[in-house]
Amino acid sequence: MFRVRNSLIALCSVIALVAAAFAVRVGEPAPGFSAVDSTGKTQRLSDYKGKYVVLEWHNQGCPFTQKHYESGNMQRLQKEWTAKGVVWLTVISSAPGKQGFVTPTQENDYLKKMNAVPTAVLMDPAGTLGHLYDAKTTPDMYIIDPAGNLIYEGAIDDKPTTDQADIASAKNYVNAALTEAIGGKLITDPATRPYGCSVKYGKF
Amino acid sequence: MPCFAHFRSCLPILLLLSFAASGAAPVPTKHATVELLSKQTEIAPGSTALLGVHFILESGWHIYWKNPGDSGQPPAFQWQFPQGLTAGDVEWPVPERLQASPELADYGYKEEVLLLVPVKVASGTQSGSAAQITLQAKWLICREVCLPERAELKLSVPVKSAAKDDSSQAKLFASAARRLPKPLPRGWKTVAVEGKDNFILKVSPPHPLKQAQFFPADPGQIDNAAHQVVQPTPKGASLQLKKSDLLLKPIAVLRGVLSLADGEAYVVEAPVRAPRR
Repeated sequence: MFRVRNSLIALCSVIALVAAAFAVRVGEPAPGFSAVDSTGKTQRLSDYKGKYVVLEWHNQGCPFTQKHYESGNMQRLQKEWTAKGVVWLTVISSAPGKQGFVTPTQENDYLKKMNAVPTAVLMDPAGTLGHLYDAKTTPDMYIIDPAGNLIYEGAIDDKPTTDQADIASAKNYVNAALTEAIGGKLITDPATRPYGCSVKYGKF
Repeated sequence: MPCFAHFRSCLPILLLLSFAASGAAPVPTKHATVELLSKQTEIAPGSTALLGVHFILESGWHIYWKNPGDSGQPPAFQWQFPQGLTAGDVEWPVPERLQASPELADYGYKEEVLLLVPVKVASGTQSGSAAQITLQAKWLICREVCLPERAELKLSVPVKSAAKDDSSQAKLFASAARRLPKPLPRGWKTVAVEGKDNFILKVSPPHPLKQAQFFPADPGQIDNAAHQVVQPTPKGASLQLKKSDLLLKPIAVLRGVLSLADGEAYVVEAPVRAPRR
């Protein structure tokens, strides 16, 4: 029963509306998508036209992800920016059987336990959304502006380690990019090398 | 070396060997054994000593090069030296390309690696006593999953008026030195011709090269996972390197390591130029 449900999720959860025929690049339109979230609701990028959208690639077993969740850093960012009207979509592209793969119920329990407050968590076990955006690591961060253009892709901050102690002195690129964009300024670092664990994709 | 192919079976021998030589006790972690070694049994003021951080990894696990590629993190070292000793930059052997999936490639080491660290011993350093060296080493070790590991490694080396090599470490240090990329030989030319989506890295020894592989020193310049198309030319070879999606600003120099079929590897600093019309 469980297995049937999982494979159903794997099959139907993400339907890419735009083929990944082009590379995702800062300054260009972000490819549209439609994906089922951990509550069973369908989330479309087009639903959020007019808003800033953050995509956060996630794997709860990855020590780099744990650095930002166990310290409360990611939750603080989610809370602060969603309060300012930014849409925060966490994406899980781990394939069934791989590290970080969770059922919707397991994910909802995790969110509760960690006090995480993304707008929604997109379940992407087939890796469709991950491949569409060419997500490489967990975390890997993307910001889309109200016009639907990609304005940031890359690392969460400039300290590529698993040490929580490094967060305080790190420059948070997501914070910086959102602050600059909303303030009408040019983004100083629009593309950085993401750091973390590799996204645990299944065989394509 | 059968020892390293099945390192578990010979680990006791390795451990015994290193107790007898210029090194502190190896520290076992969950997926590795790490030790701090010295090329010399005695070091001298006014010279450069050579230390090595030796990683023996559990089969299937890897650690990372200075540019880890698409994921991962290079080992980080924090040294505590007595007055007069200062560490130079880590000398990184040529890495392996670790391609986990079609879209992701990392650069790192499997099985065993000795990371060399030159240490300057100032001319005023007092001789007669032993230099107590402590290294806090942190590294990320991955197979499919990744784990951060750390160890505190200690070493005591006598400071004498003349340095003395440790013959029991000679083989290990010599093999590590052979794994380092060499400076580009005199007369060899490199240039990176910039296209819209690619760099064409041209290397001219000048004699034809059958095979070559480029490891970028800086992250975010070339697409790590993309296939490097190598075309032999009468004077060398040209490598088609796909640009990284993260490369938004022009670069003046493409830096990295070029590894050739004969096992040699060279440090490359290729000036970037526009294609000729």
